[in-house]
Amino acid sequence: MKRPSPADTVEMLSIFDRSIELIRWTLRSYYRLTETEAAGAEEDLRAWFHRLVRRGASPPSAQILEVSLVSAACQYGRSLQLWKLHGEKSRDESLNILLSRQPDDVARDLRHRFDSERK
Amino acid sequence: MSGRIIRFPNHNLSLQQAEQAAEHILSLPQDERIRRKRSLHMEDPETLLALCSAIRARLTSYPSSAREEAEFFFRFVDKPRRDIGLFDERSYFLGELALLAGAACRQLSRREEAWIWFDRSEAGFRHTINAAADLSRLAYQRLAERLEERQIDIVLELLPSLIESFRTLGMAEDALKARFLEGSAFLEIDEPGKAAEVFAEIADDPEAEDNPRLRAAAFTNLTQVYGMIGDAEAAIAASARAIPVFRQLNDRIGLAKVQWGLASVLRESGQISPAIEAYRQAQEQFQTIGMRADIAALSLVIADLLLDQGQDAEALHEIASALPVIDALKMAPEGMAALSLLRESALRQQVNRAALRELHGYFPQPDA
Repeated sequence: MKRPSPADTVEMLSIFDRSIELIRWTLRSYYRLTETEAAGAEEDLRAWFHRLVRRGASPPSAQILEVSLVSAACQYGRSLQLWKLHGEKSRDESLNILLSRQPDDVARDLRHRFDSERK
Repeated sequence: MSGRIIRFPNHNLSLQQAEQAAEHILSLPQDERIRRKRSLHMEDPETLLALCSAIRARLTSYPSSAREEAEFFFRFVDKPRRDIGLFDERSYFLGELALLAGAACRQLSRREEAWIWFDRSEAGFRHTINAAADLSRLAYQRLAERLEERQIDIVLELLPSLIESFRTLGMAEDALKARFLEGSAFLEIDEPGKAAEVFAEIADDPEAEDNPRLRAAAFTNLTQVYGMIGDAEAAIAASARAIPVFRQLNDRIGLAKVQWGLASVLRESGQISPAIEAYRQAQEQFQTIGMRADIAALSLVIADLLLDQGQDAEALHEIASALPVIDALKMAPEGMAALSLLRESALRQQVNRAALRELHGYFPQPDA
């Protein structure tokens, strides 16, 4: 079993910093989290991601980790909004549509959209 | 549908502190751990991650201990239900600890237990965010178990898809590990040339450069294959590439397997007494690790050689010691007829040589 080298670990952890713009945008603009909520989410996601890269004997590729991170951000945003709504519908119809979708699907679309805009 | 966010109870354990905590926890008796679970930070995901890593490191040297510890921490996380970390972390730890317990059971030939642990692992991994990677690692363990149960057709059928999954997921090391199963399957179907090709490719793979254990395992298998095809020089050269690495890593299973390979070289070159001695050394090494299936398989090989030397009584003794283990571990599902013949012949104090050879041909070679 190979432990990731320090260079590998730095590279993997830099994925979080590279994705931070997308994560913030997802939480704030997509899932309508407040600035404070988004900051808390970011802190939790960072702690979780630092452990994600150390799972198993050898970590998956940077691309897979990046997808997992965005997916976790969507899961976080959705869970928090559902909790805040106490089972009620939001007055914001676009948020209702978003909350009815699975976080993994939303994450895939977001990544695709973000990558297209970056090109 | 729940929308509740469970905030992460932030203990701020550093990586080093978590490793120290894990080491300390593992040094304590299990009941004391439960009593002191809070002060030991046992529910902290950093600690659990370090514990998984420490248990994984024991797999190749102390599989019995790895099985026991993985089971203990699985039960700890599972019941009473504990909220561990964030998002999918509880599910991940259940999946990972069950996978480690299953892998240890596989090493120890506790087959039925291994399958149950693999099912538990799947139940955990199904709920992780990176499920494809986790389930692929589980699929590897399942195929490795199938190989040991000699379901070679299934292994060769499913292996390409698994290797493809690892490559797609960027898990190059796991893809390479899966190729060991391919080489071992070729050995099982008497294609040593193809097996040697696969193991040589693994040893030469750039991914193996950073992973001495993986490369040493490839050389161990090459030792065995070259021994089987009678190329003693190549076999000894391959073993020399493996032994120092395993010694350095305290990989006791690896060392025992190289020893088995070297014994096979001696047998193939007609040096029967030194071969028996070498097989016995390998057997002793497996004994200290608790790998009963390998001990029993070697007893049959040794019995065969003792018969060559006219030591029938000693051969019967070896067979008598192996038969209960073979029965208990259900080691030879395809060799039941040979097993019955051998058992009957042993009772008559007249070993059925053909049955003996047929039977030890069913047992796994010392693969990775």
